[in-house]
Amino acid sequence: MKFANSPLLSSLLPTWRARFVLLVLLTAFASLVARALYLQGVNNDFLQQKGESRYSRVIELSATRGRIVDRHGDVLAVSTPVKSVWAIPEDARLTPAQVRSLARLLEMEPREVSRRLAADSDFVFLKRQIAPHVAEKVAALNLPGIHQQREYRRYYPAGEVTAHMLGFTGVDENGQEGIELAFDSRLAGKPGGRRVIKDRLGRIVEDVESVRKPQDGQDITLALDSKIQYLAYTHLKQAIVEHKAKAGGIVVLDAKSGEVLALANLPTYNPNNRGRLSGAQLRNRALTDTFEPGSTMKPFTVALALEKGRYRFDSQIQTAPGRLTIGAATIHDAHPHGLLTVAEVVQKSSNVGVAKIAADLAPEEMWQMFDTLGFGTPPKLGFPGEAGGRLRPYKTWRPIEQATMSYGHGISVSLMQLARAYLVFARDGDLIPLSLIKLDTPPLAGRRVFSGQTAREVRVMLEMAVQPGGTAPKAQVPGYRVAGKTGTAHKLEGGRYSNQYVSSFVGFAPASDPRLIVAVMIDEPSAGRYYGGEVAAPVFSRVMAGALRALGVPPDTPLAPVQVARQNAAREVPAVPESM
Amino acid sequence: MRALTLRAARAAPKPPQDVDLALLWSALGLLLFGMVMVYSASIAIAEGSRFTGYQSGYFLVRHGVFVAIGIIAAVVVYQVPVRVWQQAAPWLFLAGVALLVIVLIPHLGREVNGARRWLPLGPVNLQPSELMKLFAVLYAADYTVRKLADMGSFRRGFFPMALVMALVGGLLLREPDFGAFVVIICIAMGILFLGGINARLFTLLFLFLAAAFVILIWTSPYRRERIFGFMDPWSDAFGKGYQLSHALIAFGRGEWFGVGLGASVEKLFYLPEAHTDFLLAVVAEELGFAGVLVVVALFAVIVQRAFAIGRQALILERVYSGLVAMGIGIWIGIQSFINMGVNMGLLPTKGLTLPLMSFGGSGILANCVALAILLRVDWENRQLMRGLPA
Repeated sequence: MKFANSPLLSSLLPTWRARFVLLVLLTAFASLVARALYLQGVNNDFLQQKGESRYSRVIELSATRGRIVDRHGDVLAVSTPVKSVWAIPEDARLTPAQVRSLARLLEMEPREVSRRLAADSDFVFLKRQIAPHVAEKVAALNLPGIHQQREYRRYYPAGEVTAHMLGFTGVDENGQEGIELAFDSRLAGKPGGRRVIKDRLGRIVEDVESVRKPQDGQDITLALDSKIQYLAYTHLKQAIVEHKAKAGGIVVLDAKSGEVLALANLPTYNPNNRGRLSGAQLRNRALTDTFEPGSTMKPFTVALALEKGRYRFDSQIQTAPGRLTIGAATIHDAHPHGLLTVAEVVQKSSNVGVAKIAADLAPEEMWQMFDTLGFGTPPKLGFPGEAGGRLRPYKTWRPIEQATMSYGHGISVSLMQLARAYLVFARDGDLIPLSLIKLDTPPLAGRRVFSGQTAREVRVMLEMAVQPGGTAPKAQVPGYRVAGKTGTAHKLEGGRYSNQYVSSFVGFAPASDPRLIVAVMIDEPSAGRYYGGEVAAPVFSRVMAGALRALGVPPDTPLAPVQVARQNAAREVPAVPESM
Repeated sequence: MRALTLRAARAAPKPPQDVDLALLWSALGLLLFGMVMVYSASIAIAEGSRFTGYQSGYFLVRHGVFVAIGIIAAVVVYQVPVRVWQQAAPWLFLAGVALLVIVLIPHLGREVNGARRWLPLGPVNLQPSELMKLFAVLYAADYTVRKLADMGSFRRGFFPMALVMALVGGLLLREPDFGAFVVIICIAMGILFLGGINARLFTLLFLFLAAAFVILIWTSPYRRERIFGFMDPWSDAFGKGYQLSHALIAFGRGEWFGVGLGASVEKLFYLPEAHTDFLLAVVAEELGFAGVLVVVALFAVIVQRAFAIGRQALILERVYSGLVAMGIGIWIGIQSFINMGVNMGLLPTKGLTLPLMSFGGSGILANCVALAILLRVDWENRQLMRGLPA
């Protein structure tokens, strides 16, 4: 101390050094200020843009998908909010008891829950799309690192009844089948966007701006009538069980407007639980599958002959002996009938009679008619995979082919095409487009295919077909006059006709002022009976009866006991031309 | 009665003007500002972490306790005459070296992120390198005072100190704690320089070290990349440049007056060490250039006052007090400069806290004690100038 305090030594500490060091330090501080000035006042745009690229995100605001409702407003498809449970594995340190209670709520194996929580990632889904009340219980457990996010799930209240009509959506709610796909752009709406700042864990910490508002999807009001759809589905299902059939389809059309009131296929599936699906269940047969319709085509051939003036309603045709040989092939009737009027040919479904009528028609005339009726081209309803069927160019037709086509062989159609073509008989020769969507006003007029006179005459023949002496008395509906035609066709398998059948019936009622068209197709009935009049006609009758009542259509005939019993119903048989 | 009044007057605490108010308020301002910013910077990570029990105030409470302990320690230290520190300096320095040895012993020292810097002491961890900075100031000043006559000699003046510093530096680099190494070397060299070591010798030594440094760097691209990588953090913005690039973004976002207190985005898990080494980046983002300017200015005031007090002590021929005061000025100045320079991308990223502000008990305690010693030197100066015994 004494040493240091000596005045001699203090001169050894030059004050310039202290000033120098202080100056160096203060200069350093000044450089900090300059640097801060540069970063915050000059280069800030660049730095902010770098920052934006790291934590500014445009997040999608999902639009709510529109509902699908039937013509009365009953909901057929709706998006319901559900929760998905996810976790940040690092934060989710759960006790074994917690894991067990969580697994119980999520209906998962505790081991599976533990396995997912052990994942080496920042984010893992534990379970997607759980019901809101379960989600509440999970939230009540208040477990660390377990989070939920809101999602939507499509719900179809009618389940398998409307499955093929509506189709379904994927997990992210885009349409994949049916109406959901056909009208996807209208249902989906437009998602909006919001610019936000997210923290590093992905949580939104700040709303910067709303880029655009989400536009919710529109509701789609179908032409479908839930009651009729349900009738159609249950009666079709019943028939398929009863006749041990492989598959079946049914279509109900409003003859006044062309609206599709019902469409059902079997086998079907539950769109709310699509765990295991086979291709067979998914197929919308009424639209995607074609079949050789058989006798249901006869009325068109006859109508063309009447229209062209080659035959009259009561022109006589010799069908004896129930066989007709054209070239190397022979056509058969189920029962030989002898001399028949044109009306009786339709009523009794004589292959020979129709073939003889067709022989007086030019192939081009027939092709033109089939084409105008919509055969050979897809109906363009918007459904995925609509089939057009097979209609070969008339120039290649051989006489035997023209003959078989006249009664529905060598040509293939879908059930929807067939049902639509019958509009011409129900609407006095007028053909209108079909509509899946409810129409406010029916189309004024469609395309005239036959004259009103021709259509009315064929209608009488079709009425005869369901009366005693016709092929389908079982198609009758008490209180209403019914018109229709059966079809029973051998199935083509591998280019040859097999012993399996497609039974069908297409008809309309009330015959005095047709309101509804019902087309039924049963594929491979294998419980003994296979005639269209036995298998498909009863389904038609039940569905038609229920639908007419549901729509409140006034009866056009006094209620009388249906005359079926002990009447020998005429039978039409699938006549397979030999060597074909 | 009269005697009593006299005695009371003599024993009465120093009047207010006996304290360097600019220094006192600057230090207290930084402490309080630091507490606010530590809370703001840590709130998100505290809330989001299992280790803190998801309590948002986890770091604030601890930092508050550290500051309270630091202030109490400062009040106590203020009562201790400087000469006591001078006598204790070699022993304190030895104790510091011992702690630096102990911290390296496995199971005694606690390792965090690959660095063994902490000694667990019950509820808190002691960081010996922080205390060592203070001891280095006290010891280097003592050494210089003892060797004043030999300051012109390389062998007797410079060499022994270089040897001791090589030992301490070696221990620090073993942890490793490169930041503390740089600060302690700067303190020792600074005090030797102020103590009048041969200027030509010092310049030659400085040039020699600089040349060696340059050669080392230019001969190895790897080392060059390690050292100068910080200059372009965007070339590897998600790898080595990650931390710095986020610190720079924080500065850029702050602009002139900041995004507002508490509104930093960078502290939301993007910027690592936001409440310790990179606290200034959060200040820059939330309070902008204005906030940064205030912090730099307050540190500049502290450094300027330390040198003023030191010069005053030298004028009063209290060489030890003067060197201690200026040593403390160098310490606070260098450490705050390096920390802020790192935050702004002026210097390579090294782990150094911002004195008086960053979260950390040992650092706050050492800083508070150092400032108390500085204030004590000032008080003794004033006493002497009044002709009173110091």
